[in-house]
Amino acid sequence: MTWLRWLLFGFFCSLAAPAVAAPDLTVGAIYVGSVNDFGYNRSMHDGLTAMKDAIPGTRLLEAENVPESAEAERIMEGMIQQGAKLIFATSFGHQQFAFNLAKKHPDVVFEHAGGWMQSANFGNFFAATQAAWYPMGVAAGKMTKTHTLGFVAGVPIGYVIGNINAFALGARSVDPDVQVRVVVTGSWSDKGKEAAATSALIDQGADVVTMHVDSPATVIQVAESRGVYSIGFQSIAASALAPKGWLTGLGFTWGPFMTATAKSVIDGKFKPAMVRDGLGSMIALAPFGAAVPEATRALVDAAADKIEKGYNPFTGPIADNTGVIRIKAGEAWGGDKMGDFDWYVAGVVGKAK
Amino acid sequence: MNATLALAMISTTIVSGTSLLYATLGELVGERAGIVNLGLEGVMLIGASTGFAGAALSGNPYLGVLAAAVAGVAANLMFGYVVISRGANQLAAGLSLMFFGLGASALIGRPFVGAIVAGLPRLGAFDLLVWLAAPTSLLLWGLLFRTRWGLSLRAVGEAPAAAFAAGKRPDLIQYQALALGGALGAVGGAHLSLALALTWDEGMTAGRGFIAIALVIFAKWNPLWALAGALVFGGAEALQLQFQALGVDISPFLMNMIPYLLTLMILIFWGWNRRSAAPAALGRNFLGVE
Repeated sequence: MTWLRWLLFGFFCSLAAPAVAAPDLTVGAIYVGSVNDFGYNRSMHDGLTAMKDAIPGTRLLEAENVPESAEAERIMEGMIQQGAKLIFATSFGHQQFAFNLAKKHPDVVFEHAGGWMQSANFGNFFAATQAAWYPMGVAAGKMTKTHTLGFVAGVPIGYVIGNINAFALGARSVDPDVQVRVVVTGSWSDKGKEAAATSALIDQGADVVTMHVDSPATVIQVAESRGVYSIGFQSIAASALAPKGWLTGLGFTWGPFMTATAKSVIDGKFKPAMVRDGLGSMIALAPFGAAVPEATRALVDAAADKIEKGYNPFTGPIADNTGVIRIKAGEAWGGDKMGDFDWYVAGVVGKAK
Repeated sequence: MNATLALAMISTTIVSGTSLLYATLGELVGERAGIVNLGLEGVMLIGASTGFAGAALSGNPYLGVLAAAVAGVAANLMFGYVVISRGANQLAAGLSLMFFGLGASALIGRPFVGAIVAGLPRLGAFDLLVWLAAPTSLLLWGLLFRTRWGLSLRAVGEAPAAAFAAGKRPDLIQYQALALGGALGAVGGAHLSLALALTWDEGMTAGRGFIAIALVIFAKWNPLWALAGALVFGGAEALQLQFQALGVDISPFLMNMIPYLLTLMILIFWGWNRRSAAPAALGRNFLGVE
């Protein structure tokens, strides 16, 4: 009968044990790739970790390598079953699937990165990256000796072409002879093609390469192995990959926005919005590499400062690379037109679409 | 276009075609023995992830390649057991192998995503696997067409009943062919992660396994033609990127389609009279003579 006594003892003990505190908020996040990519997914993960650290009692559910297909819906549904009340769908292609779920679960808040859809419980956020590329162009234009810059682009949507254009405008502002060569790989992440694309650009004479793909790692590593400069994008962590060739870069700083959103969900005060903040808020300049001289650093910082204070590089008159005026004198393309780019500015070699 | 650029384009073609060539040779050996392996994509992925993991753990890229080969052999032997000893449908089993490879490679590679490894070092202009590509092709040709084992293998692929009657063991020979094929296919994958991209990412072969399967048909099941095929297709992929960098005035969407369009065209026009060159018993399971 001793075992029965121990059983009853244990039972009464468990009644006295304090209940495990339920998390104040369970947040779910899906990534299209791996968080170890030194790039986009890493930046999202860093932002969410900052949010989790800022709000004690937050539980974070993460799923990596979630494809941009119905599978995403299944995984997000699973997170909602586990109690998630705020879901971050971090890749462009997750939009429709998150939106479908938002209709099914009106009590769960969804935040999608990079799209345009909105509803009562579905908001959209991203960084206004285009203008931020202008100081990157200034850095590249000052550092290039061959007057050729290389840009590896994943999928040539309007926003990406806008980035390339701002980069070219910045470079041309310090070097009127500079040319930007673009290679499109066709996918946000195809390491084999990115490596070949970078090599091709370097073969064509580019001595500064940069990119808009999910992970800057492959492009930067190939550039470093061939002794050319690189400029990073998506995550500041990428500078570790190129001790010699790193110039500067752009990194997303999602943390403050994510923390504010989580707080608004906890307080029940969430308001859907289309958030597109730029340099100084959602995106920041990476530290300069050792190769960049003081004078150039000052120039780049000055350009970044100009952008933060509201300078719009897309102020007319601006002609495309065939000579046709696309932005007339007196006009300026603002944030809402950034997705409309299907032409390259003068100085960019090639066809946009 | 000057000489240095032309040289750069040629070398990119050769390097890009190498992983395709190894994969094609791997598939070719199996098909010559009568087994079509649609899971080549999975085997390449297993090779890529195991090779990368091996190089990351040991610090030696050659050990990575060795690890990849061993993993490829294991994967193909597993497929072989299902198809040879249990008599499963080869096409279905092959596709299962592909999905298995997708998942297994992701599992193997997961702890190593973002790791920085020393890739295959360049010996002169190219790394070792590129230098060995053409000799491997020649060696395989010699093996298939100038040795007794090769003759038995081809006999099993054409008429396994006849080979069986002659005292050969078709199942054993098919196992051996698959083992060799698995090693070659996995090495093709390892070249991608250890020489081309210097990284591992889920699904990084991006369909190259299937292009390799098409190349076997293009090559008329002959290792020497496979060399030409790999250069053509590897070149198509590498060159379209070079042409984009050159600033050619064609939409980048069309440029990225070129390797796949080429594959399709080749299969449609050349596949016609080349099908007669296929091993007669390809795809059929030999279940013994009653």
